[in-house]
Amino acid sequence: MPNKKEKVITRIQELESINLAREEDRDLVVQTKKEVEKDNELLALQINQELRKNNIKSIDVVGAIGAGKTAILEKIVEIIASKYRILVICGDITTRVDADRIQSHNAETIQINTGRECALNAYHIYQIIKNKDLKNYDLIFIENVGNLICPSDFILGTDKRIIIVSITEGEWVIEKHPMLFKMSQIAVINKIDLAKRLGTNVEKMIDDAKKINPNIEVITTSAKTGENITKLIEKLEL
Amino acid sequence: MKEKLEEIEELVNEIEVDILKLQSLFSNFLKKHLKGLIIENYIGEYPTFMEPVILGEKVKIGDDVLIGPYVYIGDNSEIGNYAELSNTIIFDNVRVGTNIKLDNCIVTKNCKLNFNNSNIKNCILKGIANSEKEVLKIYF
Repeated sequence: MPNKKEKVITRIQELESINLAREEDRDLVVQTKKEVEKDNELLALQINQELRKNNIKSIDVVGAIGAGKTAILEKIVEIIASKYRILVICGDITTRVDADRIQSHNAETIQINTGRECALNAYHIYQIIKNKDLKNYDLIFIENVGNLICPSDFILGTDKRIIIVSITEGEWVIEKHPMLFKMSQIAVINKIDLAKRLGTNVEKMIDDAKKINPNIEVITTSAKTGENITKLIEKLEL
Repeated sequence: MKEKLEEIEELVNEIEVDILKLQSLFSNFLKKHLKGLIIENYIGEYPTFMEPVILGEKVKIGDDVLIGPYVYIGDNSEIGNYAELSNTIIFDNVRVGTNIKLDNCIVTKNCKLNFNNSNIKNCILKGIANSEKEVLKIYF
């Protein structure tokens, strides 16, 4: 009988060649992943149909931690709150900090604390909208969990997705995270007020976004000074 | 909010539950009185919460649990791993087993769902049960 240490060594040798799933489990792992993706897409489609049926415009906002997603949403909501009845769904690992900030600008907010999950998925959004009277809203923003990777696995059924990065993340941030740029219609490069001081090559960032997705519209903003926020609202057709 | 909860608790403990009255009180409580995210004192490792969610004192929550929207959980209750709760009131000292999904349910005080892997909807749950068959269910 092999002892415990020998068993562990044998298992590590197996893992070197099987990438965390035994041969007999690999089909199940692949199948499960495919089904999760398919079900998420199905729910996303259903969400989109429900929102359109109720004439609600919907926008999903993704971006890294600290890029300025909440600050930009605060500015947008402040300007358009008199025109639209707005619901903002805020995703965060914990706390209600972002939802409280946005709520102070006259939008209704719903907080989702994802705990150990790194992004919102269509099931989260479906659960919220099926429990809401959609006749009370004209516009829904979904602020995803701060993350430039995981949200690419889950579409949420919105009309548009905007991705927000900031120049403080470095000029390589866009080329290092292509997937979300491929999936977005508008890219926002925020904190432009710091460009000169940091010496960031903003043109390179714009070029990178266009190379990844030639159809993406790129806009530079400063949530702090309000620069180009009105232009962003126009691009969002709000 | 406490008053409304007491009213619901009194009603579900009656021998013959007035279902129409309960439906109205339940829906009114969830949609009008349950607001925000009051989750400060739970014991567990970062479940997913979709507001509104209000937790009482010392609520134990397992791994990969999804709570909300519209969920109240009373003091000293325990929610097993992989559970999912929505549109549900759970009173004090309740136990919910592993991978149990509850939607539109009321779980009465001291009820123990000591079983796993169930999907239960639209009912009041009572008793101490080691299998789903043993739970007293009153549909509403």
